[in-house]
Amino acid sequence: MHWVRHVGGGALEYGFMQIHVLFFGQLREITGVAQEDAELSEGARVDDLFERYGRRFPKLEDFRGSIATSVNQEYADWRTKLASGDEVAFLPPVSGG
Amino acid sequence: MAHSDDLILLVREKIDTRALVAKLKAPEDGAVVVFDGFVRNNFKGQRTLYLEYESYEAMAYAKMREIAAEIHAKFPVHRLAMVHRLGRLEIGETSVVIVVTSAHRAAAFEACRHAIDTLKRVVPIWKKEYFAGGAVWAEGEKAGQEAISRRNESTS
Repeated sequence: MHWVRHVGGGALEYGFMQIHVLFFGQLREITGVAQEDAELSEGARVDDLFERYGRRFPKLEDFRGSIATSVNQEYADWRTKLASGDEVAFLPPVSGG
Repeated sequence: MAHSDDLILLVREKIDTRALVAKLKAPEDGAVVVFDGFVRNNFKGQRTLYLEYESYEAMAYAKMREIAAEIHAKFPVHRLAMVHRLGRLEIGETSVVIVVTSAHRAAAFEACRHAIDTLKRVVPIWKKEYFAGGAVWAEGEKAGQEAISRRNESTS
């Protein structure tokens, strides 16, 4: 799902997606963000979203190799394409039990 | 699908393992196997003060239900309880309990082992350990590796 945004003299700018983003454990502590909404361009993937947070919180990049991601509560590949309304989580190594 | 009598829960209060076992046992069972994981008082020689667990609860429930369904598909067991506690836990308190009932012991042992091993790899739960000198997030396993590789296999 996407919507159309009207910009200035009738020009149409397509495709902004609203994504709900969650951070857990150590990643929540690094970002200070437990959850928030982010706006991304149509066609963006999970790794685009992560890169955006990586620019805002450079320390996140150190953890890239150990992080798993999920889209709508299912483990997902970094290359997964996002859709508006998706819930994306960044998950540090799990340690339940 | 998980069996409708299965008990899949995330809780913030103390887990009563005995009560869980009593609740699961039924006359048609001949065996029950219980795994009770509780808070150890040390980590790599340091004295642990207490632990804190947090979870991505919606996804954790989904993954625990998937594990239960997989257990029923793989092993001839009757019922399964999988309960994990969140929040602050003191030394000696139970963090996780797996209870499996079956007609015979082999299936219950194997299913119980499979359930706890899979839970530790797949269910999004995190543990922070508090010591006298500070706190650290437990060194866990990269989440969901198994689930992801399984998906890639099925699409290749």
